[in-house]
Amino acid sequence: MSGHHRIRAGVLGIWVVDWAARLLWVAGLLQAANGASVPDSARMPVAAARSVDFVRDIRPIFQVHCVSCHGPDRQRGGLRLDDRESALKGGENHAPAIHPLKSAESPLIHFVAGLVPELKMPRKGDPLSDEQVGLLRAWIDQGAIWPAESPVPKTVHWAFKPVVRPPVPVGSDGGADNPIDALVGVRLAEKGLTFAPPAERGAFIRRLYLVMHGLPPTPDEVAEFVRDLRPEAVELLVDRVLASPRYGERWGRHWLDIARYADSNGFETNRERKNAYPYRDYVIRSLNEDKPYDQFIREQLAGDALGADAGTGFLVAGAYDIVKSPDPNLTLMQRQDELADIVNTTGTAFLGLTLGCARCHDHKFDPISQVDFYAVQAVFGGVNFAERKLPRKMSAAETNELRALEATLSSQETALAGLKDKAGAQRDGVSAAKRLPPVNARSNEESFPPVTATAVRFHILATTGGEPGLDELEVYDAAGTNVALASAGTKPTASGTLAGYAIHKLEHLNDGLPGNNRSWISDTAGRGWVKLEFAGPRQIQRLVWGRDRDGGFKDRVATEYRIEAESAPGQWLEIASSAGREPVTADPNAYLKHLSEGDAKVARSLQDQIRQTKAQMEKLAGGQPAWVGTFSQPKPTHRLYRGDPMQEREMVAPGSVAALGSLGLSVDEPEQRRRVRLAEWIASPTNPLTARVMVNRIWHYVFGIGLVDTPSDFGANGTTPTNPALLDWLADEFVRGGWSIKQLQKRILLSRTFGQSAAPRPDGMAVDADARLLWRFPPRRLEAEAIRDCVLAVSGALDLRMHGPGFYLQRVEDDNVNRYFPKETFGTNEFRRMVYLSRIRQEQDSVFGAFDCPSGNQVMPRRSRSNTPLQALNLFNSNFVLQQADLIAGRLLREAGADPASQGARAFELMYGRAPDRFESAESLAMIRDQGLPAFCRALYNTSEFLFVF
Amino acid sequence: MASPDRIHPFLNRRAFLSQSATALSGMALAQLLGRDGLLAAGPAGVSPIRPEINPANPNAVRKPHFAPRAKQVLMIFSAGGCSHLDTFDYKPELIRRHGQPMPGGDKLVTFQGAQGALNRSPWEFRPRGKSGKMVSDLVPLLGGLADEMCFIHSLTGKTNTHGPGENFMNTGFTLDGFPSIGAWTTYALGSANDDLPAFVAIPDPRGVPQSAGNCWNPGFLPAAFQGTDFNAAKPIRNLARPGGISPEKDRATREFIARINRHHLEKFPGDTELAARISSYELAARMQLSVPDVGDISTEPAHILRMYGADSTGDRTQEIKAGYARNCILARRLIEKGVRFVQLFNGAYQVGGEGTSNWDGHKVLKDQYTVHGEVLDQPTAALLTDLKQRGLLADTLVVWCTEFGRMPTFQAGASGRDHNPAGFTAWLAGAGVKAPFSYGATDDFGYKAVEKVVSVYDFHATILQILGLDHQRLSFYHNGIERRLTDVHGEPLSEVLA
Repeated sequence: MSGHHRIRAGVLGIWVVDWAARLLWVAGLLQAANGASVPDSARMPVAAARSVDFVRDIRPIFQVHCVSCHGPDRQRGGLRLDDRESALKGGENHAPAIHPLKSAESPLIHFVAGLVPELKMPRKGDPLSDEQVGLLRAWIDQGAIWPAESPVPKTVHWAFKPVVRPPVPVGSDGGADNPIDALVGVRLAEKGLTFAPPAERGAFIRRLYLVMHGLPPTPDEVAEFVRDLRPEAVELLVDRVLASPRYGERWGRHWLDIARYADSNGFETNRERKNAYPYRDYVIRSLNEDKPYDQFIREQLAGDALGADAGTGFLVAGAYDIVKSPDPNLTLMQRQDELADIVNTTGTAFLGLTLGCARCHDHKFDPISQVDFYAVQAVFGGVNFAERKLPRKMSAAETNELRALEATLSSQETALAGLKDKAGAQRDGVSAAKRLPPVNARSNEESFPPVTATAVRFHILATTGGEPGLDELEVYDAAGTNVALASAGTKPTASGTLAGYAIHKLEHLNDGLPGNNRSWISDTAGRGWVKLEFAGPRQIQRLVWGRDRDGGFKDRVATEYRIEAESAPGQWLEIASSAGREPVTADPNAYLKHLSEGDAKVARSLQDQIRQTKAQMEKLAGGQPAWVGTFSQPKPTHRLYRGDPMQEREMVAPGSVAALGSLGLSVDEPEQRRRVRLAEWIASPTNPLTARVMVNRIWHYVFGIGLVDTPSDFGANGTTPTNPALLDWLADEFVRGGWSIKQLQKRILLSRTFGQSAAPRPDGMAVDADARLLWRFPPRRLEAEAIRDCVLAVSGALDLRMHGPGFYLQRVEDDNVNRYFPKETFGTNEFRRMVYLSRIRQEQDSVFGAFDCPSGNQVMPRRSRSNTPLQALNLFNSNFVLQQADLIAGRLLREAGADPASQGARAFELMYGRAPDRFESAESLAMIRDQGLPAFCRALYNTSEFLFVF
Repeated sequence: MASPDRIHPFLNRRAFLSQSATALSGMALAQLLGRDGLLAAGPAGVSPIRPEINPANPNAVRKPHFAPRAKQVLMIFSAGGCSHLDTFDYKPELIRRHGQPMPGGDKLVTFQGAQGALNRSPWEFRPRGKSGKMVSDLVPLLGGLADEMCFIHSLTGKTNTHGPGENFMNTGFTLDGFPSIGAWTTYALGSANDDLPAFVAIPDPRGVPQSAGNCWNPGFLPAAFQGTDFNAAKPIRNLARPGGISPEKDRATREFIARINRHHLEKFPGDTELAARISSYELAARMQLSVPDVGDISTEPAHILRMYGADSTGDRTQEIKAGYARNCILARRLIEKGVRFVQLFNGAYQVGGEGTSNWDGHKVLKDQYTVHGEVLDQPTAALLTDLKQRGLLADTLVVWCTEFGRMPTFQAGASGRDHNPAGFTAWLAGAGVKAPFSYGATDDFGYKAVEKVVSVYDFHATILQILGLDHQRLSFYHNGIERRLTDVHGEPLSEVLA
């Protein structure tokens, strides 16, 4: 079966063998070309002396001995021997393996005859007999005739065909007033089933709230709805539910499962990602606003181009390994894993396609080639896992102010440009504002977000000439103290020091004395590194370096460099580099010399004014930093042989899945445009997958299971829809409705299908026990978040503050690698909805994590629903639940008074949305009387009815 | 092709019920909770065998694919990258060439950068046992058990960073988020003990390993198969009856829940998810009794405590050793009780600086390993000896491993070794493996595996093979892919099997 693999060359011995064999084979070919004999044909069994029939003689050999490794399930060495075209084309290294008419020269024969020691075939099982090899030789010598197989073209998989709106039957069970019911009814009738009667109104409103809000209705809401017998009451209720902000919190959480969202980086350091939440809020807001789904897609792939910057948090929401190393293999593999994560997530989230399978080889089941994978990867090749500042939302007054500043800037820049023209030194100096100024010989400053480090190192890769030199390297902490000084205990090391000069010594680097006479110079032309090891961890945020602060020397200045901090032993974080600076050119102020004194004065003044204006604009417009990625023009993408980043093959232009469409992009297409184009292609009404996949997700989250129960795989390896006509009707309706999620949900929620009772019936259980055809509403356990939110809601503790930084259920310990320890006491901060929990990869919440809560490491399109003893222990014994039991007990006292019967009845209203029956009343009364109200509440929190939706 | 009705193990919970307990008249739960030896049937070939999971008792014993050599696993994981060159991989050439540059080493960039000279181990190697296997003085007591061990000297990883490396050894993938080997095992086989978790992870006294919960998380497998983490010092969270609640009140509350739930279930006859909810509380109640019992090592006789070193006192090292020794005793008790998979950690995430809390000896290997060897050697050797003397090795496979080995060189300007996934050592012992035996080899210096190179996939495939599981067929459908512990790789090492 399928799977996907990531092979790292160099460490797996098999590769050595493979390459050795390859070289050997090349040697063999050269020999052959020179007229020498092919691998010892004397050892080759002789060809059979009879006419060979492929179907009778040859195919069985392939099927028995070859196809398990060279067939549909795997293609060792890229070779397939189960269909004509592939077999004649050959594998990756020895193609073609069959030379018709020339069996003695055909690699296939050499391998099965055991002439190539490293490639004796078959690898497993008995070798072929001489007779079998003889048959193969005869078959090849007779022309390798392989009768064309069935002329019927491969059928197009259902999900790749265009969506066709099906006719809706009239008068079938369910009636025509809701096409959903009509189409569900057709399938039920085929199995001799019918809809269940409508759920009771109390059950209905509870189901509606749990499904759409993940919170229970209040007793008042239930009572009001039960009383409201107007025909439009249900529709009004559904409208109200869809309009509530609680809706976006519930459904946003579903989408975050698909976006593998979490608030830490994962891997061993697992640092918090404190600015990830803007994407989470973006998702919640988008759902609450009923943002059209096509727009939602475009913004998540290319929001930076659409004024929705937070959307691109989708691209970088996954785990990210911050542990970097000088080992180039590791660096390449890490980057490849990052890009593959984006490609895989995009494929499964929007298209229901397992693009990831094609990272190493063509997809085995779907029309996705390996080239397609790298084409999509090329779309994302410029995405970096990093924070970016979001544009700030401005008031009208601020917008006006900014416009005015823009106008001012424009006139200032125009004036300056005029003077530059006048100086005959017109240059493209203005764009320099985007970057730091070029390096200069005297002093350069590097600022970066504070980082705790034990050492800093400075790699110099190029200079203005000669061996690199540094007169002083200063590293500052927040208090402005230079922690680099030798007097502070910091020790310098270097790649090497120019020998024989008393004025150029390593210890001059951090002796606090600037100038060429107290400087370090490398012993290698153009290159070198220095490292400062502090006496202990230091929180640093700024660094100053220079070649000669006395201004005498301008050679030896680092022009290409990288500065890193050791944030944990062996873990080097880049904190600055020459990439952030303008390239070194001539003095940008040189033009001033060509101006009259008066003009030069004006020009200098204009430069100052421009700086000030920009600073004002930055202050006004600059927004919060957010983990939504940064973008840079990528280098060309190559296909990687077997997914190995050390083995680049041909260049691949950015694109989509070729079988489904083309983006028409070139290899050097501008970065942003790549993502915009892919987003447009995915979000197109004619894309057969996009709408189908999304309506199925909606169905899945409403009914607990989709029409396709593999919601992220609509390929040939996924399952077929239980009701294809309904799926297509929903998809078509969705697109016609302007991709409105709420509108589609409203139709589903108003259907008889949704509104029917959950009670089981023998006929249904016998035919369709899982209710996939929906002869009843299928009950299910609530998810972790909904359980926790419901616990808080009924106790009255729930804090409905929306958005913003998340809350923590763990205490954070930051010691190079972060560790998290569960909190044991809780206050209102922890009583917000769980969608606002700062979710830490690898460290689930100690109470609700055990309820199949996804970790955010992999896409989770469909959660498991386990019922385990650990869940029971957490709900029964945790401080959290006991505290809530006390709180709800207090609430019952306040709302129902001292009478145990009233307390019990109120508890049922709050927790189950109904009154207790006689048995339950009696049981509750006894429980409250004998064990007290908190014990009673602790118990109800642990009952099935509270934890399930029916 | 995936067969639609079998993709999710829990999908057919209702179908399961209607098949296996059609006459679930009212409350025939007892039968459901029995140890259904569910047949792991499947078509021939490499099609997946998906264990059939009874939602009401997801850890019921399930049959393996073929006759197993071992029924339980004890996996000891030395976190931080334990050097093969200072423990089990004897390289006379490294001693001879001590202080010389490694051929090709000048161009080699490893995790922390450039290489210094070849460096022999600070510990002498001596022949051990009847087999005469060379093992270093860092682990003399383990060396004394060399005749019980099946060494694999040619293991290779594919990453040289700790997090991904620990993920790889424990989950088969370098990335976060995949099911751990213990989760796979319990998913396949369930557990012989109904009263204890099927899969227990025992973190080091100093804390969790660098990949933390990844090592025992279920990934995308159902939460029922997650490892339960506790050790001799730190009990299962939320296991104990809360303070301030009397045993009587606790029992009354539990019984009230059961009555309310069963009353409710009458409205939904035959719903296995609801039945599973009820049974999860019964299992939890049994765990509340049995886990403290198995974890109470105070009942162990003094000579056993001494044998493991659990009575060690004195400095910090001895305290850690005593803590690890108590964890070793706990591991033995869990194996004794039939827990399917026990994962014992030696070494924790980095605290107090590099190489202090685990085997990550980059800079001052000798000083740091002196501590780590002291902690590991006696307790682990005692554990192995104790399992043997109680006859438990007949059914238990013992695995010792780490995320990668270390370089034969010292790092440039330091007195320790950098990470090395190109060749390192693990050993197996107990049921199902040949011993004494050494499989595969690294080159003359111990830098690269050159003989019978073994991938982590092969290593995992071998462990599954010993458990009677075909690593190619044990799979779980997730997000469009039929996932395996061994991805699409791996070949069991038939030579090491007994």
